Amino acid sequence: MDTVTISNLSKVYGEKTALAPTSLELAPGSLTAIVGKSGCGKTTLLRLLAGLEEPTTGTVTGLPAKVAPVFQEPRLMPWLTVADNITLAAASDPSLAKSKDRLADLLDVLELTGASALYPSQLSGGMAQRVSLGRTLFYNPELILMDEPFSALDYFTRRSLQQMLLRLFRNQTKTIVFVTHDVEEALLLGDRVLVMEEGAIKSALPVTLPHPRSATSPQFQQLRETILTLLK
Amino acid sequence: MRRICQGLLLPLLLLAAWYVVAERQVFSAYLLPSPAMVWQAFGELVKSGDLAVHLKISLVRVFLGFGCACLAAIPLGILCGRSRYFHTYCWFLLEFLRHVPPLAAIPLIILWAGIGEASKLVIIFLASFFPLFLNTCSGIRNCDPKLLEVGKTLGFSSYGLVRHIQLPAALNEIVTGLQLSLGYSWRALIGAELIAAAAGIGYLILDAEEMSRPDVVLVGILCIGVIGSLMDWLFLQLMNRLLPWRRIANEKGGGPWTL
Repeated sequence: MDTVTISNLSKVYGEKTALAPTSLELAPGSLTAIVGKSGCGKTTLLRLLAGLEEPTTGTVTGLPAKVAPVFQEPRLMPWLTVADNITLAAASDPSLAKSKDRLADLLDVLELTGASALYPSQLSGGMAQRVSLGRTLFYNPELILMDEPFSALDYFTRRSLQQMLLRLFRNQTKTIVFVTHDVEEALLLGDRVLVMEEGAIKSALPVTLPHPRSATSPQFQQLRETILTLLK
Repeated sequence: MRRICQGLLLPLLLLAAWYVVAERQVFSAYLLPSPAMVWQAFGELVKSGDLAVHLKISLVRVFLGFGCACLAAIPLGILCGRSRYFHTYCWFLLEFLRHVPPLAAIPLIILWAGIGEASKLVIIFLASFFPLFLNTCSGIRNCDPKLLEVGKTLGFSSYGLVRHIQLPAALNEIVTGLQLSLGYSWRALIGAELIAAAAGIGYLILDAEEMSRPDVVLVGILCIGVIGSLMDWLFLQLMNRLLPWRRIANEKGGGPWTL
């Protein structure tokens, strides 16, 4: 895919500016983490990129054919089993129907093999969010937009899912935008961290630390302090 | 099992009270026939085959009328749930029709559709159409927009959204509508048969009234109640089989659908 170029993208709801005109580039294969407080416009930016909202001004060029979000809540279909929820996109795209054997691999990677016949009401929060991630991965989008996907989970589940995400994407060429309010999570995952405030990107920090990153290393701590100071 | 026994306690007590009252002849046997008399009448009706004939006729009417109502109400309900125009333009008319019990329209229905099978089918259709139609419509309208967003971002067309997300999401309400409709159609049929019919379980009761056979009337009433409950139970068993996720979610939430 090409570089995604966002120019002067903005969104205004009545009197309220959710996103001030924003310009940004997403390089192919990059993982951009966006941090900011609630209501800073990070979710709006994702929804505009996902095509779920119409922008007030601005354009996005270079968007790939397949862009898919992972939402904050799992949003699983209660009437489908884990396996059917993951392969949901096959119902819209016949070319995916043939690749149902990929399901087995996904179940394996997401540690859901034993759960494939369960229904969403039988899953824990962490399992449900893994199914939700699996559903997006099965669709195989070039650009994945993650909106605080782990924020409703407990600390240990969150940690293991962060590790899983890094394992999954290390060898892939997917472009990811990862929105979070957790500075540590942004630094653990992102190639760069964008700090947003009041509907605008305040600064962009490249993170060049090698994976796996340790949250206790001095460089990590320093970046963390920088970001927290910016967010004050 | 324990709940079934608890549920049967009250009916059995009533039966015992009925037995005692009838045995002591508190009321004349004409006003309140004893359980033994009713049982005997039941035996006669089974033996002569009359009960089976009437029941069969009534059940065929219910399933035909109910089936036609399903064929019309579900597609129209989906249309109503999807289209704002349909809802805006038809709202008053539907609201009006919903509040007119089909039994009130029987004179007109007989005038238009005759006294034969057609008029019964129309009555059952009218009785069972609305609960199903309205539940389907609200099920489609109440589909969680968050689930629809998932569909949109996975590249579903608007047909795909209805087929794979809105319709399955509405199934819970549609099943409730089907259950209500089935009950309504049974009750409306008996009403229709009581007013104008030459066969059917309602006619059996009417005929027994004219023949001064309160025991047969009671057999008819008991049959209606038992068969109505039985249809409802069978319907729910079928739904639990067809929609396992519904049963599982209900078991977890302790819903009303499990015995």
